[in-house]
Amino acid sequence: MDIKEVRELLEKYDAGETTLNQESALREYFQHNEVPNDLKSYQLIFAFSEKSREQGMEREMQLPDSATGNRYLWTAIAASIILVIGLFIFQNKPMEMNNNDLGTIQDKEEALQKSMEALKMVSELMNEGKEDLIYLKEFNNTKDKFIKTE
Amino acid sequence: MKQQAFLEKINPVKDKIYRLALRLLISKEAAEDATQEIIFKLWARKDKLKDYTNVEAFAMTTTKNYCLDELKAKKNNNLRIIHQNYENNSRSLQRELEVKDELYWIDRIVNDLPKQQKIVFQLRDIEQLEFDEILEITKMKPTAIRVALSRARKKIRESLTNKHNYGHKRS
Repeated sequence: MDIKEVRELLEKYDAGETTLNQESALREYFQHNEVPNDLKSYQLIFAFSEKSREQGMEREMQLPDSATGNRYLWTAIAASIILVIGLFIFQNKPMEMNNNDLGTIQDKEEALQKSMEALKMVSELMNEGKEDLIYLKEFNNTKDKFIKTE
Repeated sequence: MKQQAFLEKINPVKDKIYRLALRLLISKEAAEDATQEIIFKLWARKDKLKDYTNVEAFAMTTTKNYCLDELKAKKNNNLRIIHQNYENNSRSLQRELEVKDELYWIDRIVNDLPKQQKIVFQLRDIEQLEFDEILEITKMKPTAIRVALSRARKKIRESLTNKHNYGHKRS
């Protein structure tokens, strides 16, 4: 390529009309030839673009580890299965009525006696508990001082 | 797609992603973060990636959009962040490439270009992509691409010529 040809190509280069092949020919030319002063700026540009292409990222590239993701997924699935099975077993047990728990007392008289005893005990305990609630009346007493209902 | 296959596909593109991100975001750290983020995005869409005949174009489009969004967000938040990192970047760039002062100067000129011109110049002159690929990435019209490219090339040369004529002083 002689200098006249180069100048022609540079004109097209300035207009953005050169092909990649022509551009690499120019790049090649400027790399290996001394050029007149008025073309020095082109030489710098071509040297610059060539140099810039060599720049790369220094930092290591990372990818999300898909294996760990899956492991957590499977752990979660296993845990929820165990939980569901556990709930199923323990929840269902009290539901099943056992025949042995019912009607242990055969004699009717005795059964009545026992039931009465049990109910009495309940009501006694109930009354005992209710006695403690007497303090609650104090609230009403205080309240009535301020709020006249009649 | 397995991780290995994905890496093989993405590795040749990785540095191109980084360079475009660096061109747009200026700061090295921001560009590295962006590259990582974009690769995550591509990884998340790895099954669709098989359908794209041109993974590179798709990756570059993603990069362009991501960085422009970042810039928009940054503009709203804090302009100073970009400026502070400028110094960091320039130093590391000099060290990295051991470029002459001149090349570093061009880097600054390119960074000062309007966004579209910057992107087109980066894709054409630095990454040496065909116009068809640039068209796909930028979604610009062919004439618009040529105009932007022409303006960028002229502007860079003009800045260089001015600098040499007036003997610009640098610290």
